Formats: sequence, C-alpha cells, structure tokens
Amino acid sequence: MKIFLLAIAVAVTLRASEIRMEKSGGGYFFRITDATGSDDFTVTVDQPDAPPMLGSVTREGRTLQFSPRFPLTPGMKYRAVWQPLSGNAQTAIFEVPKPIVARSTLVTSIFPSSNQLPENQLKIYIHFSAPMAKGEAYRRIHLLNSNGEEVLLAFLELDEELWDREGKRITLLFDPGRIKRGVLPLAEVGGALTPGGKYRLVVDAGWLDATGLPLVKGLEKRFAVVPADRQSPDVALWKVTVPTAGTPLVIGFAEPMDEALLHRMILVRSENGKEILGEVKVDAEETLWSFQPHTAWTVGNYTIEVDTALEDLAGNKIGRLFDVDTLDKVDDTQRTPKIILPFAVR
Amino acid sequence: MKRYSIVLFLAAVCTLSAASSLSVGKAELKSAGQLAFNPQGILFVGDAMGGAIYALDTDDSKASAGVAVDVKGANLKIAALMGTTPDQILINDIAVNPLSHKVYFSVSRGRGPEAVPVLLRLDTLGKFQEIALGKVKHSKVELPNVPSAEGRQGANKRMEAITDLAFVDGNVFVAGLSNEEFASTLRSIPYPFTTADKGTNVEIFHGAHGRFETNSPVRTFVSYKIAGKPHLLAAYTCTPLVKFPISELKPGQKVMGTTIAELGAGNRPMDMIVYTKGGTDYILMNNSSRGVMKISTANLEGYEGITKKTDITGVPYETLAEFKGVEQLDLYDSTRALMLIRGEAGSLDLKTISLP
Repeated sequence: MKIFLLAIAVAVTLRASEIRMEKSGGGYFFRITDATGSDDFTVTVDQPDAPPMLGSVTREGRTLQFSPRFPLTPGMKYRAVWQPLSGNAQTAIFEVPKPIVARSTLVTSIFPSSNQLPENQLKIYIHFSAPMAKGEAYRRIHLLNSNGEEVLLAFLELDEELWDREGKRITLLFDPGRIKRGVLPLAEVGGALTPGGKYRLVVDAGWLDATGLPLVKGLEKRFAVVPADRQSPDVALWKVTVPTAGTPLVIGFAEPMDEALLHRMILVRSENGKEILGEVKVDAEETLWSFQPHTAWTVGNYTIEVDTALEDLAGNKIGRLFDVDTLDKVDDTQRTPKIILPFAVR
Repeated sequence: MKRYSIVLFLAAVCTLSAASSLSVGKAELKSAGQLAFNPQGILFVGDAMGGAIYALDTDDSKASAGVAVDVKGANLKIAALMGTTPDQILINDIAVNPLSHKVYFSVSRGRGPEAVPVLLRLDTLGKFQEIALGKVKHSKVELPNVPSAEGRQGANKRMEAITDLAFVDGNVFVAGLSNEEFASTLRSIPYPFTTADKGTNVEIFHGAHGRFETNSPVRTFVSYKIAGKPHLLAAYTCTPLVKFPISELKPGQKVMGTTIAELGAGNRPMDMIVYTKGGTDYILMNNSSRGVMKISTANLEGYEGITKKTDITGVPYETLAEFKGVEQLDLYDSTRALMLIRGEAGSLDLKTISLP
C-alpha cells in the first residue's frame, strides 16, 4: 500500500505537460505524448554534464517512450529532454520517490564461536540475516586490541570480497603474510594477534545491506589469543559415537574445526557406497559434528568419509600443516585425499 | 611478396578456427569481474558468481592507434550512464583491447547478490558504450566447483573468487581463491574452449627462505620469458613475487615456485604488466599501500630464490613516487600504460601515462 502511494511521481519542473514519468510493473519509464517528427528523447540523471542514460526509445503513434536499461534509483532526480526537429527542447525533471523502510538486517552469527583463538587463526565467517552490499567490508570491520587501538591491516583485503552466492556470509582471512613463518611481513610488523592478548572484533552498524540500509545494530566479538596451533587435526583423537535407530551419528573433535568446511567435508556412506542424506549440525564451539539421516538408520555397516582438506582454526589440514617447516622433515607424500572411518549400526 | 601471402594465409586460418568456436547468442553472465584479451581481440571475462569464464567477440578487432586517455571521474560518468549514484556501482576491472586500443570495463550495477553485470567500452572519442550481451559471439567454459551436498540443510556457500585472468600462448590462466578452504588454484584452460577440456588445476607452493612452504593463493600474475623459457611471475596474497616455468604446470604435480622478491608488509599486489623500454624489459606493479613498483627483469634467471632467513632482498625494484592511488593498471600500447587512479572526493580518474 505504502509503495503504491509513493509511486506517484513528483514533477519538479514541468514546462511541457506532455513529458511524464510513469510506473508500470516493476519499473519507471518516461513518456512524451504528441512528439511528432523527432525521436530525439533522452534521459539523464539531473547533474551537470551527465551522459544520456542507457535505455531504449520506442515510438507508438505520436507517443515516444524511454525505457531505462536499469531500474531508477529511489531519491534521485532525472531530466528528460525531447528535442523537436525545430525549436527549443522540452525538458522535465522528475524525482523518484524514496519509500521509508525500516532497517532490518542483522549479524546472525560469527564463526569461530570460541572466545579463545590461536595466534595463527586463519579465517572468520560473519553471517547476516539478509544479503549485503559489496565493496565496503574492510572499512566496516575492525580488530581492536585491549587498549582499544585498531590492529591495522589485520585482514587480507581483496577487491573480490569473499561472499557466498547469496551475499549473506563473508569470509575474512587474517593476512597470511602475518601468519606465515619466514615471510617478510611477519618479520616486519609481526602477527596480527599476540598470544595472551585480548581483542574485540567489531562489526559497524553502518555496514549497508543490499537494499542500501545500515544494519539494525553492530556486533562485537570478544576473544583471547592462545599460542599458535601448529598441529594437524589428528583423526585418531576423534570420538565417534555410533548411532542407534533414532539418534544421530556424532563426532567429537579434539579441537574446534572450521565451521564452513564441517558442513561439506564429512560424508556418510552406506555399505554399497551410496551417500546417506541427512542433516548436519555443528555444536559446542565447532568441536561436535552430528548427522541425523532423513530416514532412520538401519542395521548395517557404514563409513564416514572425511576430506583431508578439512581445516582446523589455523588452516592446518589433515596431514598437512598450514605452513610446513621443511626442517621438521614432515613427510606428506602419504597424504590421502580421503580418510575412511567405518562404523556399524546394530 | 610470396612470403607475405603465406603469412596472411596462416593468419586467416587462425582467425577462422578461433572464430568458429564462438556462437551467436545471449551471454548470460551472472557477474563480470576480471578481464583479459588475447592478441586477436577476444575478450575473456571472469564470472565468479556463475563459476565460468566467457570468451566474447565484441566485433572490435580493427587495428587502430591508441590516443591519450584522460577521463576524470570515470566512476561518476559510468554511474550517471546507468542512472544511479557512484555508490551503487563497482568497477571490477579494466582492460585494453590490444588491437583497437579501446578500454573495456567490467562493472556491477548494484552491490548486492542481485547486481547486474555490465561490460562497457570507452571509445576513442571518450564515450562509454554498453557491450550488448543479448546477441554476441561467445563461448564459455565452466569452472569446476564442489557440488552442493545434496539433501543437506542450506545452500552450498562455497564460492571461488577469480583473482586474476590472463591469456598466455593459447591458454587462459585463471587464479582463484575459495571462500572456504585455503588453497591455491591456478587453472590453465586451452582456448578455443571445448567441452572436453576444462583445463588443468595445479597446486602451487612457494618456499619462504628455503624453510617453510605454503600452498597459497596467487593474487595476480603475468607471463614472461626468462632465459627463453615462458614463465609465470605470480604475486601472492602475502606479497612474495614468485617465478615458475609454465612447462612445469602439469596436473597432479606439486609445483614449487621460486621466491624472487619480497614486497613487504601491509601490502597487496594488484596488477602487473610487462613492457620494454630502451631495449630493457620491466615489470610495473600497482599495490594497495606500497605504490607503483618498477621491477627490473635483468638477470631474472639468476635469482635462485631467497634462501636465508636474513635475506629479504631479491629482485631490485624502485617505488615510483609520482603514482598514488592506482587501483587498476593495464598496458595501453608500446609506450603507454593505462591507470585508474583514486582521486579527490572518491573520483576515479582514467588516464594513460608514459611508461616509466
């Protein structure tokens, strides 16, 4: 209802009553009646030296219509000009109404959930309730130390911000140059995080969602930093709780794991190799993975298939550290793409 | 005269075979990011949202000498062209057609996931035109992605950002960065695209001071012949500059690049170009916070890698103080580079500069 009321165009200047801005379906178009002779009908944003907007001009009898290539922007003014074959141009300026919409987008979660992160923490995932606008992430996120000072360039700033397809989750990478041992940035400015330090990750309320509105409120995650994790996840330490007919399969890890990867790097297969479909839940600060199949377990043998690209918080994969110290004589030639853990439902 | 005709004939055959792989139709890009041209003027567009690389024949292969480009407020002009405010567009990349010397832009109209991808061309008169994608000669190759776990709750959130794209000796090289697992993907895809060959993925490591080695994402890269052998020079997200021979990029093999320079902290390499001046080759690289670097290519084969922990020098480079805020860089012609420069009050200015 509100939208319909606001859809009435406001004519700011109207020398020739024939030019109108009208709304049809989802968008606006410009129309001039009684425009004989000339098809020279252009629309620009109402700014000096603005180039003609992209769009198409069609004629129906004596009426010309300009259909913009893109939807018009609420709150903007547009200038429509028709140049007849002789005489002065007719000009009209219109403003697209801007509906008043309350802000409604929130930060829904931040991973890792733990408030203790290793010095070499690699990634942070921030989830939002609605799609967000690209292009401003790195000025909306701040890492503050215990004195409230901002840790500069803590995150790798990429032009291609790492969003998911829906624009509802962004991945932040701590600058690998400040994590990797043996590279210049770490030697020059040190790590972004110091063991024993207390930090706040602050998400600004001013971050715009895809509709151009700020968040309902900002969010702060407080955490303490513990020494670096330079151990690969050890599958031998995982505790597998074998399900019964109505219960989920549960794996307990010896350390928190990467939340996003837990959702797709562990599969369950039946004895004939077919993937069992079901719901994955990640709990207890990403130290518990549980799987409830869509149809109840039946008696038989199963396998858990773990992709060894699964990472812990520091980006250490199963069988391969984030950065390998070649002096440690780590042999990763035996690294397999999958680890298979069998279990049986009785 | 005879020799001349043979060359022409060969050129005609090549053009024909390249063009025949393209079909006329709608190029349904879901996003338009990194851009690259091949020497025949075919435009390659990285579509990260659609997980594909497009090859487009934009009907712009007529050779023409370049002119000096100087467009103040290119972002303001593009926004006005699209009927909106500059904060509602993103200029994702620019590239120069090596034949016509027209400048191409990949732009997002809107900033959310529903943003419309738009390709624009700046003609030699300084006017922007939209490249119509409804009926364009094109072909595409889909990049492999991890399939969504069928039957699981929620959508597959994994995406791969395309951080750079280049055409080298008949192959499109694509550098990617996942929004989940930390890995390097550098993919080499033969062009013309065929459905049978989606290219090969190579895992690239770089050694740091001969001690630590990491599988790391490539940020930007350029091809360059070192001692007569084609190499890729790649700048990593953590700023080492690394060389590796293209002949070593074979699927399933671990490729270890050689770190030839360390470019320092708090910095992000953005674009690299190779050029020749006064008979010497140089690399020009713009950076997020360390300005524009001119890197000498003399004796690149001589750098055996930074091997000692204290040794942080490598290939010499100079930082050119006259260039500030360079956000995009491409080679314009043999004497000029094209830069998109962040000016005052958020204006992005496009101009050609003499190669330094």
